Amino acid sequence: MIDEVFVYALSTCPWCRKTKQWFDDSRIEYEAVDVDKLSGDEQDAAADKAYELSGGRRFPVVVINGEVVVGYNPDKFLQHLRSWGGGGG
Amino acid sequence: MSNEPRKESLRYLFERVVTPLGYKFTPDAELVDELLEAEVKLEQDLGAPYCPCQGRSGVREEDMKIVCPCIPFHRAHFDAMKRCWCGLFVHLDVTDPDSLPQFPPDED
Repeated sequence: MIDEVFVYALSTCPWCRKTKQWFDDSRIEYEAVDVDKLSGDEQDAAADKAYELSGGRRFPVVVINGEVVVGYNPDKFLQHLRSWGGGGG
Repeated sequence: MSNEPRKESLRYLFERVVTPLGYKFTPDAELVDELLEAEVKLEQDLGAPYCPCQGRSGVREEDMKIVCPCIPFHRAHFDAMKRCWCGLFVHLDVTDPDSLPQFPPDED
C-alpha cells in the first residue's frame, strides 16, 4: 500500500523540519516544498495552494492520501496513513 | 555579524509582553534559540520578527497579526493548545512542551 504524502513547509519553521524528520524516521516517502524558498509565480501558486488546503497561513500543511493535516501532529498523520493501518482517505 | 545581541533584546522585550498574558518561553531552550534566530533573520529580511511558522500575505494589516509575540491575535486558539503556533511560548504551567500537539483553530 503506497501512501501519497506532500508537505508544504517553511524553511524557517522547526515544526516543518520535525514533520519531514518524522516521515523520514517512519521510512515513509513524501514530497515537500519550502514555500519561502520559491520565488515569483511559483511561490504564489504553492502558497495559495497551502492556504486553500489549510484554510489559514499556518505551516506545516501535510496532505496524506488526500487528507489535510495542519501542524506537526503524528497522531493525525498515523490516522491517514494506509501503510500504518490508517483510514487512508 | 552575530545575531546574539538582537536575540537577547527580543528575549527581554517578549518576556515583558507575554508574562501578563499567562505565557512564558518554552522550557525547550534549543527551540527558543532556533526560533529567535529565525525571527532575527526574518526581521533583517522583511522588517519585522514574523512568526517563523506562518506565511505572510503581503497585506500589512494581516501580516501584523503574525509579528511575534502574536498571542493577542490568536488568543483562543493558542490557549486551547497551551502554546503559540511556533511553540516559542507556552502557558506558565507547562513543563513538558513536547506533549502539546499543534492543531488549527477549528480543531480544538
